[in-house]
Amino acid sequence: MPGTYIPSEYLPVLIFIIIATAFGLGALVIGTVFRPKKPYPDKLMPYESGVTPIGEPRYRFSIRFYVIAMLFVVFDVEAVFIYPWAVVFDKIGIYAFIEMVIFIGILLIGYIYAWKKEAFQWD
Amino acid sequence: MIPELFFAYFAFAIVLFSIIVITRKNPVHSVLWMLLLFFHIAGLYLFLNAEFMAVMQVIVYAGGILVLFLFVVMLVSLKEEIKVARFIGAWPTGFTFAVALFIVILMSLRSFVAGPQGKYTIDLIKSESNIKVLGKLLYTDFLFPFEIASLILLVAMVGAIVLAKKRFKG
Amino acid sequence: MVPLNWYMLLSAAVFTIGVFGFLSRRNIIIMFMSIELMLNGVNISLISFSHYLQDMRGQILAFFVIAVAAAEAVIGLAIVIALFRNKATVHVDKINEMKG
Repeated sequence: MPGTYIPSEYLPVLIFIIIATAFGLGALVIGTVFRPKKPYPDKLMPYESGVTPIGEPRYRFSIRFYVIAMLFVVFDVEAVFIYPWAVVFDKIGIYAFIEMVIFIGILLIGYIYAWKKEAFQWD
Repeated sequence: MIPELFFAYFAFAIVLFSIIVITRKNPVHSVLWMLLLFFHIAGLYLFLNAEFMAVMQVIVYAGGILVLFLFVVMLVSLKEEIKVARFIGAWPTGFTFAVALFIVILMSLRSFVAGPQGKYTIDLIKSESNIKVLGKLLYTDFLFPFEIASLILLVAMVGAIVLAKKRFKG
Repeated sequence: MVPLNWYMLLSAAVFTIGVFGFLSRRNIIIMFMSIELMLNGVNISLISFSHYLQDMRGQILAFFVIAVAAAEAVIGLAIVIALFRNKATVHVDKINEMKG
C-alpha cells in the first residue's frame, strides 16, 4: 500500500483557480445585486447599432470550423505524444529517436494529404 | 485527513456534474458542464501522482475534444432543440439497465483481490518527474502501441477530411 | 489514506451514468458525450490502480485511451455531420430508415 501522497507543489495552482473563479463569479453577482432593474421591451431587444433587428441571428455555420478543430485535435494529440519523448530522448538510445521519426513521418503523410485536399484553405 | 477531504469533494463534484451533463435540454450547457467535469477529473489525477495525465486530460480533452463538440453543436443546432423531449420513449429501460449494471459492478467489487505491487513507488516517481518515468517506459517497452497510435491518428485525420468535405459536383 | 474501493466505486458510478445517458438521450451529440464520460470513468479506474499497485502500466494504458478517444471523437463527429447533411436531424428516433 503506498503512503499518502499530497501534491503540495500544486497549492499555488489551487489558490489561483479559487481567486480567478471568485473574481469572475463575484463580478457577475455584485453586478446582479447592485444594478437597477427597469426593463422595457425596447431595451430588451438585441442590439443592432440602433436599428430594429430584422431576420434571425443565426448564419450558416460553415463546415470549415469543424475541419480546423479536427486538425487541431489530431495534431494536439501528436504533440502530447512528443512531450515525454522530448524530455528523455537523450537517455533512451538511438532506436527511440528512429521510432519517433517514423511516428512523425506517418503523421506527415496525413499532413500532406490534408494539404492536397485543401483542408488548410479557408476559402 | 486532507486527501480524504479532497477526494470527497472531487467525487461528489464528478458524480453531480456527470448527472447534470446527461440531463440538460440545451446541448451547449451540457458541453460547458462537461468542461467543468474534466477539470475536476484532472484535479483527481493530480492526487494520484499522475501529473502528466492531468495535463494531458486538460490539453486533449478539455482543450481539443470539447471544442470539437462545441463546433458540431453549433453546426447542427436547431432553434427548437430546447423545446423537444430530451429522453427517448424507452428511457425507463435504459435506467433499469444502468442501475442493474451498477449493482453487478458493486457485487464484483466485494470479491476483489489486488495484484502484487510493482516497483514504481511514489518516491521513485518523485525523484525524477512523472513525465520522465512515463517517457522512459513509453518509448522502450510500449513502442508497438505507440506506432499503432500514429496510424490511428492518421486514419482519423483522413476519415474526417473525407467525410466532411463538400460533395462531388457532377 | 483513501482506500482503493472508493476510487473503483467512483469509476463505476461515472461509467453507469454514461451508460444511462447513452441509452436514453435523443440527441446524438449527447450520446457521444456519454461515450466520452464512460471512457473517463475507465480512465479514473486505470490511474487509481496504477497509483495503488505502484505500477506505471495503468497510466500508459490511460494515455492510449485518451489518444484513441480523441481519434474516435473526430471520426464520430464527422459521421454526425454527414448524417445531419442527409437527414437534417440529430434525433436518433427519426434516423430509422436507410432509404433516401
